[in-house]
Amino acid sequence: MVERSGYLAVIASVEVLTPTLRKFVLAAQGVRFPAVSAGSHVVLGFGSAARRYKNAYSVVSATPDGRELSVIVRRAPQSRGGSAFLHDQAQDGTPVTVLSSANLFPVSKTAKRHLLLSAGVGITPFLAHARTLEAEGADYTLHHFCRPEEKPAFVTLLADLPPGRVFIHDRPPEDAGMKHHMAEEGIATHLYFCGPEGFMGWVEQAAAQLGFVAAKVHSEHFFVPEGGKPFTVVLASSGQRIAVAGDETLLEALENAGVDAPCMCRGGACGACALEVMDGVPEHRDHVLTEQEKTEGRTILTCVSRARTDTLTLNL
Amino acid sequence: MTVQTSARESYRPPYQVTNSAETILRFPFPFPEDSYMYSMNVEPHIRSGPVAAMHNTFDIDEHYVAECAEKARILQEDPKRCIVQPHMRAAEWDFVELAMSSLSDQYPQHFSLRREGQDWHWVNRLLGYEQSFVFGDATTLPLPPFEYMARQMQGDFTLHDQREDDLWMDGGMVTAQADWSLKFDLGMSFRQWHAPVPKAAEMGVFDRGLRFLLMLQHEKPVRRLNWTMTINPRLDTSPENFMVWGPDRASVTPDNVADKVHLRVELQTLYRLPRSNAILFSIRCYLMPLRDIMRVPKWRRRLHRVLRDLDPTLSSYKGLDLYRQTVVDFLAPYDDGAPLSSGIQPEVVQLEKALAPAA
Ligand code: HEM
Ligand code: FES
Repeated sequence: MVERSGYLAVIASVEVLTPTLRKFVLAAQGVRFPAVSAGSHVVLGFGSAARRYKNAYSVVSATPDGRELSVIVRRAPQSRGGSAFLHDQAQDGTPVTVLSSANLFPVSKTAKRHLLLSAGVGITPFLAHARTLEAEGADYTLHHFCRPEEKPAFVTLLADLPPGRVFIHDRPPEDAGMKHHMAEEGIATHLYFCGPEGFMGWVEQAAAQLGFVAAKVHSEHFFVPEGGKPFTVVLASSGQRIAVAGDETLLEALENAGVDAPCMCRGGACGACALEVMDGVPEHRDHVLTEQEKTEGRTILTCVSRARTDTLTLNL
Repeated sequence: MTVQTSARESYRPPYQVTNSAETILRFPFPFPEDSYMYSMNVEPHIRSGPVAAMHNTFDIDEHYVAECAEKARILQEDPKRCIVQPHMRAAEWDFVELAMSSLSDQYPQHFSLRREGQDWHWVNRLLGYEQSFVFGDATTLPLPPFEYMARQMQGDFTLHDQREDDLWMDGGMVTAQADWSLKFDLGMSFRQWHAPVPKAAEMGVFDRGLRFLLMLQHEKPVRRLNWTMTINPRLDTSPENFMVWGPDRASVTPDNVADKVHLRVELQTLYRLPRSNAILFSIRCYLMPLRDIMRVPKWRRRLHRVLRDLDPTLSSYKGLDLYRQTVVDFLAPYDDGAPLSSGIQPEVVQLEKALAPAA
């Protein structure tokens, strides 16, 4: 599909951080990238003539003149192909379009102190946050969790931040005594966390046990939509039938058919892509709908969710 | 749009504001239907629409110089009309970038901007300003960045931090408001500053509006129209100055109604700002006297119907009760009850002859 809008760029450099993590620096081509706030993601369009991808990645840094921005991409084990394409085929000069940007994971500008916890590739939003907080002279501490063999890579990645602010652990948070560190935080501290599902669950539970109030707890579930069973979507207004292949999302299938479907994060986190389900049973994979809404099955987030039935009729 | 380069007009007594035919035809008349009730009337702010006032990011019209002069006068009398909280610094620069780049892009005859890295050069030919500065370094501008730029634009602006799934009014410059105050609303949340509005909360308008704005995306601005009525062409109808303008509402008579009563329309546009993740709310105010609205047959008929059938709660919230009946009685003879097209477009390319002035 031709991308009608966005900022044209090329990959200016690729850095191998760990076997599964690579950092890509994008250079704007004849345009200036829009400014981005710390915690933002960009939706990148890339791929080959045969297969186009649109994936969202956290921006880890951007130059103030709008010429460059960087993302870190993890090669997803069950990748639909986007991260595999970037790891295996992208190189200096590969064209990439920055399609949009949004911030679903900002820090609270009025908070007195920030505690940032990440694991694995969950470090990406915090690379931008820690540098911004450091530049503003804010009070913060970052704890990062990774596997022992990855530790040197993260030490290098975080080398420009003061040692008193950043702690890198090669053990899980439970073994590293993280609960104890969290318990020592004052009532004004805002807690932010990002990482794989198991880590997210651990922090959520610890925060609840320690009595962190919900308004001061912020998380970003980074989520790579996986493929699934093919199905057919029917648009109620026109009767149009669109096939959703096993390796594409419902949202991508709608876009490829020229439907102007709403979206923002493309990762089941924001709720912008919600559409009404008129017939069929959705298979929910998002982090937005409540359990009750999921059971009712009247709404689907097209960027990650699929169908249990062979067809799904949408109010579109 | 022709812009006068000197301020001959006056938004205070003795009032002196006139609208050219072009200004009347580009007016964002606020009623798409014959009756009005609050609704979730938000649409993409794209560079097109049923009236020319909607065709630019920030609309500049023939009153530009006079409105900027009035704004400067209000700020001199009451500097607290401009307040920006310290955590909105990045949003100030976002505003400078959005305003300077869109104005210079869309009105190259009036404004120009040269950017070399962080070295910027701004020219405002209408007000005769020329300024070199370093983007991001407030010491290189004569005023704080938001104030510097907001003084060079028609309309009011507020800046909103987004946190705890809410929007907070943490800055702004407000000199042409319909009876609300930045000083009072500063630091409030979306539902708090909307608390005085009747009906809309129960209708779910604010819940939906807020949810929508929390997801507003950079480079996808939205707009809505809001309206009330004002006696005399007065921009500053603030609560602080109620003693000055409030009594005018009792001064409307059948003889002066066409000149005194103005439909006050706010073209509100909302932008996600990229550096700060804040939201900019722009309130561009248009004041159109009944005498000018009368020259568009569709608009005068529709205004009659809307005001005649207006919900009494809205009428009283908007402060129309003292003169609404006088306006309806004045408009009634000019409404033959013919069906009108939906939408706000005037449906004429030329105005009808003006009414004879009141004796
Ligand atoms: C950041 C965005 C917004 C700001 C700063 C804002 C601000 C205000 C203010 C200051 C008032 C006057 C309240 C008073 O009487 O003191 C007002 C009124 C109102 N607002 Fe908003 N507003 C915003 C967005 C919206 C949205 C998205 C909607 C609806 C979709 C909305 C609907 C209304 C309505 C219906 C009124 C009553 C207006 C009247 O009858 O004159 N507002 N708003
Ligand atoms: S686009 Fe954000 S949840 Fe689907």
